[in-house]
Amino acid sequence: MKTNSPGDSKIDWNALDNETFRGEVRLFFEEHYPSHLRYPKTRLRWHQIRDWYLTLSRQGWIAPAWPVEYGGMGLSPEKLIIFIEENERWGVGRAPDMGLNMVGPLLIQYGSEEHRREYLPKIIAGEHIWCQGYSEPNSGSDLASLRTEAVLDGEEFIINGQKAWTTLAQDATHMFLLARTDKSVKKQQGISFLLADMNSPGITVRPIRNIAGHEEFCEVFLENVRVPKTRLVGEINQGWTIAKALLGFERITLGSPKQAQYVLARLEELAVTLGLDQDAGFMDRFTQLRLDVADHAALYARFVDQVKRGEKLGPDVSILKVWATETFSRLASLMVEAVASAGATVGDVEFFGRHADILTSLYNARPATVYGGTNEIQRNIVASQVLALPS
Amino acid sequence: MMRNDETNDERAETLRLLKESAAAFAANESPLTRARALRGAQPDFAPAFWRKLAEQGWTGLLVHEQQGGFGLGFAEMAAVVAQFAARVAPEPLVPTAVFAARLLQCCPEGELAARLLSTLASGDLIASVAWQENAVQTDPCSVQTHAVPDGSDVRLSGEKRFIRPGTACEGFIVSALAKGDLALYWMPCGVAGLVVETELQADGSRAARLRLDGVRLNADQCLARGAAAADALARAFDETLVMASVELLALSRAMLAMTLDYLRTRVQFGKPIGSFQALQHRAVDLFIQQELTSALVAQAVSMLDGDAGVKERAAMASRAKARASDTALTIAREAVQMHGAIGFADEYDLGLYFNRALVLSAWLGNGLVHRRRFAAQNPLRSTVAA
Repeated sequence: MKTNSPGDSKIDWNALDNETFRGEVRLFFEEHYPSHLRYPKTRLRWHQIRDWYLTLSRQGWIAPAWPVEYGGMGLSPEKLIIFIEENERWGVGRAPDMGLNMVGPLLIQYGSEEHRREYLPKIIAGEHIWCQGYSEPNSGSDLASLRTEAVLDGEEFIINGQKAWTTLAQDATHMFLLARTDKSVKKQQGISFLLADMNSPGITVRPIRNIAGHEEFCEVFLENVRVPKTRLVGEINQGWTIAKALLGFERITLGSPKQAQYVLARLEELAVTLGLDQDAGFMDRFTQLRLDVADHAALYARFVDQVKRGEKLGPDVSILKVWATETFSRLASLMVEAVASAGATVGDVEFFGRHADILTSLYNARPATVYGGTNEIQRNIVASQVLALPS
Repeated sequence: MMRNDETNDERAETLRLLKESAAAFAANESPLTRARALRGAQPDFAPAFWRKLAEQGWTGLLVHEQQGGFGLGFAEMAAVVAQFAARVAPEPLVPTAVFAARLLQCCPEGELAARLLSTLASGDLIASVAWQENAVQTDPCSVQTHAVPDGSDVRLSGEKRFIRPGTACEGFIVSALAKGDLALYWMPCGVAGLVVETELQADGSRAARLRLDGVRLNADQCLARGAAAADALARAFDETLVMASVELLALSRAMLAMTLDYLRTRVQFGKPIGSFQALQHRAVDLFIQQELTSALVAQAVSMLDGDAGVKERAAMASRAKARASDTALTIAREAVQMHGAIGFADEYDLGLYFNRALVLSAWLGNGLVHRRRFAAQNPLRSTVAA
């Protein structure tokens, strides 16, 4: 077993050739990732994924995209893509990663030196778990209309309002949030980006059960929550610009073909088990979806190459998310349809001695076309920014 | 196909120049009025224009230098093909300068194939490939037409259909079973026992339908037989599928661009109709199909210039043809709808693209046929992973 203590984390991963690097990452995942957590059916809770998070942290691999000086691996875009591909290949579950993927990079770019010193090491160490306080009951797609308010009172902001659909807030120690700090200007111009401790008096978290029966998102109530002025990121009223800076890389992650490829493989197994591979009607639909997935991979590769060359992604990357999630959704629906009367049975369902989960994908496909900007919002973006259609 | 003495940069530069000169040539010499005028004509393209294409060297682009061609690759051919497809030019670049040329090139060394190839490259021979026998055929090598020995000759009997070009061609490369083996023959037009009919296509061109009733050919008219014939036909077929996909993509791009222009400028209810979200979202869905096709076709073209295995080549070619065909038809239908009544009027140029898209998506097998070919060649895994 090869482990690198944090002491020798100065390895220049980018100097390795791609295949050596891929081999090292693959070996480590295969040896250390808990097998019962491969391809998890739901978002993993902190208590389930904590040990793996800490294992990666000790290995020096918890923040592959961060610069080395902040405890990251400092991977080049090309190596980062390999790292992500190996995660996906081995079915490594997603940890509560808002700290690593969102607030961390944001603080590196926009935070103060104090923010970086205070927060970044604790994200790396797994001491701070972050959640994202953006959506509100009346502000979903129209996020900029948010009404949670922060009023400056001496050296503190006093925050009042309500956040909604906050993923895994029940596991979080901290929340980064958007709050209105000026009501007199255009809605995008009166928003600030703040960091709050979830233990602050006045914060109440209430998990929301979803239609699959799981508690993955929460409501967060903020009642006279006091946050030191120093927890403002960037300038006051510049929160919208900061929040938007993150959307680029997120959209290529959301546009990965992996989720659809995974369901496709499950549906293929199921089709063989049920003898549907002899059914011409099923096969025509299955093959169409099979090629929808394969052809998506060709399009995804084109955007990945762009990232690897160090080019900035344009607004056209939105089409990846739309096609990835809608293909995933069509596959999930065909899976349910294919098993006919078994299409409402929860959990692993037995067919001729084999077991298959039917409903998880159907449920997971619902938020997929909603979060990260609904597919309708993505289409709006492409229509105006890529196709130059008038407003 | 790529010449070894050329670096990637040099090739990119050649490609850029070729694309520019083909674009300029097509824009100057092949306005849409020309395509419009040739609809329903006999022959259904302009032999004089073919001559000009030959003078530019484009009929022999893929043909090896030994046979008087340029020995360039599929990326180069695609650059030229796309420009003429975008002008709905009716000349048979893909059927003749790709399909027939590559099939002859892939036949084993032989005096006949070499002679035909060099005449084709110089623009002096229009040849068609007569492989297809029924409308839903997925395997180019599966044939009913048969060749029986008759002294030193063979006699061919059977039917062939959906052959492009169907007019003005001087001969057909015809596939037949000879003693159970696939064989390819050169069959000049006008031989006794051959009846050539044509079937009018949506774009005003004509596809040939051949009835062979004991057509007598000398044994030396045989271009290839057995595995060599099957390999050559399968390869040229796959290559042609990809080049037809390049044409379909060019049509899709042109139709979507026309439609987006229309959406930006057509005013109803006091606003450009492209400001309506219902139409915007539909336009984005068409753009997604165009971009999927574009990414896939680019992969397929570079695969042809590389050294893919037979199975990989067939899978990629069928994927490209299936996606490109369905994308072109979808964009064509939606383009007409978004244009409203003018989109259905013959005077408006969209119809030229619509009708060509119908022809090219049907030719060599449509989306359904190629998805089935892909499925047949890539069956579901019979061993299920634990």
